[in-house]
Amino acid sequence: MKALWSWLLELCDLPTTPTVEEGARALTGGGLEIEGLTDLGAGFSGVVVAQVVAKRPHPESTKLTLVDVITAKDGPATQVVCGAPNVPEPGRKVLWARPGATLPGGITLATKPVKGIESPGMLCAEDELGLGDDHAGIVVLDADDPTALGAPAQRALGVDDWLLDVNVPANRGDCLGHEGLARELAALLGGRLVQHDVSADLAELASELRTADLVELAIADAAACPRYVGRIVDGVAVGPSPRRFAQRLRAVGVRPISNLVDVTNYVLFELGQPLHAFDWHRLAAPPRIGVRRAAAGERLTTLDGNDRALEPGDLVITDGSGPIALAGVMGGQATEVTAATSRILLESASFEARSIRRTARRLGLLSEASQRFERGVDPALADRAAARAAVLLARLGGGRVATGLVDHDRRPPARPPVPLRLARAQVLTGTALTTASCEDALARLGCVATADGDGRWLVTPPSARADLLREVDLIEDVLRVVGYGEVPATLPPLTAAPRPLTTTIADRARRALAAAGLTEAITFGFQAPARLEALGLPADDRRAQPIAVRNPMSIDQAIMRTSLVPNLLAAIARNRSFGLPDVALFEVGSVFLRAAGQPPTGEPSALADEPTHAAIVLHGSRPRRFGAAEPWDAFDAKGFALTLARALGAGDPAVAAAADVPYLHPGVGAAITVGGVVVGHLGEVHPDVRARFGIDGPVYLAELDLGRFAEPGPVQMRPVPRFPASSRDVSLLLPEAVPAAEVEAVIAGAAEALVERVALAEEYRDADKLGPGKKSQLWSITYRAPDRTLTDPEIERAHEGIVARLTAHLPAARR
Amino acid sequence: MDTTPTDALISQLDRLAGEFAAAIAPLDDEQAMRATQAQFLGKKGQVSAVMKELGKLPPADRPRVGEAANRVKDAIAAAVDARLAALAEARRAADLARTVDLTLPARPVATGHLHLLTQVRLELVDIFAELGFAVAEGPQIETDWHTFEALAIPKDHPARDMQDTFYVADEIVLRTHTSPVQIRTMQAHPPPIRIVAPGVVYRRDDDATHSPMFSQIEGLVVDRGIRFSDLKGVLTHFANRFFGGSGGLDVRFRPSYFPFVEPGVEVDFTCAFCRGKGCRLCKGTGWIEIGGAGMVDPDVFAAVGIDSEVYTGFAFGMGIERMAMLRHNVSDIKLYYEGDLRFLRQF
Repeated sequence: MKALWSWLLELCDLPTTPTVEEGARALTGGGLEIEGLTDLGAGFSGVVVAQVVAKRPHPESTKLTLVDVITAKDGPATQVVCGAPNVPEPGRKVLWARPGATLPGGITLATKPVKGIESPGMLCAEDELGLGDDHAGIVVLDADDPTALGAPAQRALGVDDWLLDVNVPANRGDCLGHEGLARELAALLGGRLVQHDVSADLAELASELRTADLVELAIADAAACPRYVGRIVDGVAVGPSPRRFAQRLRAVGVRPISNLVDVTNYVLFELGQPLHAFDWHRLAAPPRIGVRRAAAGERLTTLDGNDRALEPGDLVITDGSGPIALAGVMGGQATEVTAATSRILLESASFEARSIRRTARRLGLLSEASQRFERGVDPALADRAAARAAVLLARLGGGRVATGLVDHDRRPPARPPVPLRLARAQVLTGTALTTASCEDALARLGCVATADGDGRWLVTPPSARADLLREVDLIEDVLRVVGYGEVPATLPPLTAAPRPLTTTIADRARRALAAAGLTEAITFGFQAPARLEALGLPADDRRAQPIAVRNPMSIDQAIMRTSLVPNLLAAIARNRSFGLPDVALFEVGSVFLRAAGQPPTGEPSALADEPTHAAIVLHGSRPRRFGAAEPWDAFDAKGFALTLARALGAGDPAVAAAADVPYLHPGVGAAITVGGVVVGHLGEVHPDVRARFGIDGPVYLAELDLGRFAEPGPVQMRPVPRFPASSRDVSLLLPEAVPAAEVEAVIAGAAEALVERVALAEEYRDADKLGPGKKSQLWSITYRAPDRTLTDPEIERAHEGIVARLTAHLPAARR
Repeated sequence: MDTTPTDALISQLDRLAGEFAAAIAPLDDEQAMRATQAQFLGKKGQVSAVMKELGKLPPADRPRVGEAANRVKDAIAAAVDARLAALAEARRAADLARTVDLTLPARPVATGHLHLLTQVRLELVDIFAELGFAVAEGPQIETDWHTFEALAIPKDHPARDMQDTFYVADEIVLRTHTSPVQIRTMQAHPPPIRIVAPGVVYRRDDDATHSPMFSQIEGLVVDRGIRFSDLKGVLTHFANRFFGGSGGLDVRFRPSYFPFVEPGVEVDFTCAFCRGKGCRLCKGTGWIEIGGAGMVDPDVFAAVGIDSEVYTGFAFGMGIERMAMLRHNVSDIKLYYEGDLRFLRQF
């Protein structure tokens, strides 16, 4: 909401006149944040009000005039050369930019010859002052303009003023007019609101016509339209609004159109009540005004010229012949005010907020009026606004106001007073409120408080304050007036600390992976469908059934991620494009899967499963000093995966070949299992998949579903060995197809109690020596007993038992 | 004077000492020296061979020869020790003559990086944990009811404009704030409640200072007798712990409107960078806007079945990106989410 400082001061009576900065500080402190403060007259300086005392043609040009002006009564006249066609007759006032004056655009005036005659500065047009776009001629002040000669031009133009840009909270529709802001200013600064009393004007301007004879109200739907006031102004003539009246509208962001239209906007900004002016002669005769829901198939051409199809939810104004306006949103073209209008029906009404909101949004018509109706307009305002507008119309349009008004008044009964307890206010705020401070604050807010026992009141807020419904609302407002600066800083007493409500497994995973040397990325929860498709998942995979965002801002954010992998692959590609060939990233975050029982496509009807995943991607080379690159490989991915699993308390999970992960290389992929449950995968990203992300060169990957890991208990100490260990090696000749894990499994299957550790010490292949399709592995087995030093015979017995088992269970030969 | 057999034997022994010294002079390892020592001193060694002649000497001369033999043994041992010491000294000198160019690059120690937002979030949680707050979480894809209705934001409420929402279905949204975690927590746990809920949220907003996904931390305290002033105290503690250094930062409340709190406030901290004097960061005001807060609205308590006459509470919410931006001078919110190692590795 844009507000003018002069307008606010006009509407309140304050103990001392504050500076605009003081006013802005008070409003901001009261919750109406002033987001901008603009000096409207700052664009120019040194321009003064001058009076024309004589004029004559320029001897060298028919287009130029020599004008004598004075800046003080009976002062010396100065001759200025003027090129405008509208130099007024002597006696009228103009705006003279004297030498040294500055204008917008950095122009500084001097005395310069114009066609051979010296001109000290110039007479100004509106656009030269940065106001409006009128360059038809110089500014000529109205004949009765009261501004003193020599005064700054700002005063005559109504720009010796400040524009306040007010951020009005959603619940304070009452502050979408100067009166509401003035009420706040008065409450915060200890003054009172001033309301225009127009009864004398109405009596003076009354015509012999009676409103009730000229218009009838027949409004059935009291919920949709709780109040409708109509007034008739007769005998008006359309013309431009007075300069300063129009300037106020321009300043708050409304283009002046004509006196009749401008008045409705002026009252809207003054009181916050949207108004509409119908050309009475263009209404059905006699007009019978109704408010109803549109019927299916009805159409209306609104005053912006658009022929609009109406929907049954829309509220329309009717005149007996059909819809003539979209209630609260926009008038109809057929009944709008034109240059020929002489009699006006003024509509001052309130409509159901929800209907206005829906219609305005559907049609994209967010007008000054609809914005106010959406937040609710006080039905009590309708007659005051209608009277104020009628008087202004009659004054500006030279007409008279028909006697009386038509008033459909179906307001809900007055709300019961709201109880307020001092003790409750004290407890809730923790602030030293007193009976006196509460009563003072309530009075300043315009609330009527009746004592209801000790420290209790029954409070009736002003009708404009529809947001003051409950005790807590009153407590807030009392505190607002007292000042939030009065609230002390205390700490709540520590009650029994609740146990942590969620696990921290995700953060344990992050810390473990960062400690292992990886860098954490956080990527968007949504992504482009193409990124998911690039993984090549089969249609029946849950991850290939993403939940779509109905209203994404771009295709890149159209679906919720079902895997962390695509965004990380995209991050590799992005880093490569930055010239970073070596990328080692991880992410720990939620993925979004359709809940069990939900259809695979379409909008879900239940919330998603949101398991937390961890994913690691490696591309390029390991960190190195210099010299030859050491490329990452799949065993790095395995190392990080096992490190993570260990950090999560899972011990050493099993890793077994898995060729069924579509986005992994068919020969370089494995499943990670804990207790027989697959908890993740690792391997090399399928070359086709990484190619789809534009990545040239292998990518290694590990991903784990953290939801599959149980919260581990505290680590239990194992005894530190007190007796020495002994190692024995066995060299095996094996077919290529036997995985290392199988050898380990056979050794473990021996269940030899003395075995402490099994490690692969060497592996080599040599087709000439070993034969094709064979490999040699040297396994080192460590033996130890917890209670004694093992003897050689004991070790030999155990070792030979294991070797025998290996050659019996595997196609293995001892070498 | 004639040489007696005794004298001849003694001089033979003494000569052996000299021979030994000559024998080990070219040797430079201990093992070879010990072998040579054995040649001279062993049972079949040269000294023993000489000593076999001892029996042929007059008994009176034998002690003199014995002394000579001991002298030779000592001399040999001393020669070995001296030689070994000289060798050790030479090795040490050679070692000390070594130089290494330590200006060559270091061997890289893999240093990982937690994301700046993770670091800040963990720190925020730690600070609130000092005041007894536990961590709560909730789903990112959330019901309209938890996100709006239960927080006193019915459909068609103007406040819905404040948070342009991503929809997944009619009644399912991407949560626009972490406040639904308040609702879930109050539904699941009777008071007293004291939680913070960090998490990512989504809004249809994308420009220099807005990202369609960003993260917030929400706080909620519900108990008997919780006061508005307690909110101020908790946030004052937080401000000084996170930004303060030496402390002394104030919290300013400005009235504001959030449907789920009443009174509702915007929270400002004294600008930690100019200490309230006014600088570029606080746009000369001396204050930094940090988030929204207020007392839990009775309508919210009603939605979750908590008696607002018995219990009161406060809630607050802050943007984690903004905290990080303020403290670490991050220039663009987009940097957080692009996976750019040049950014991520700075923290």
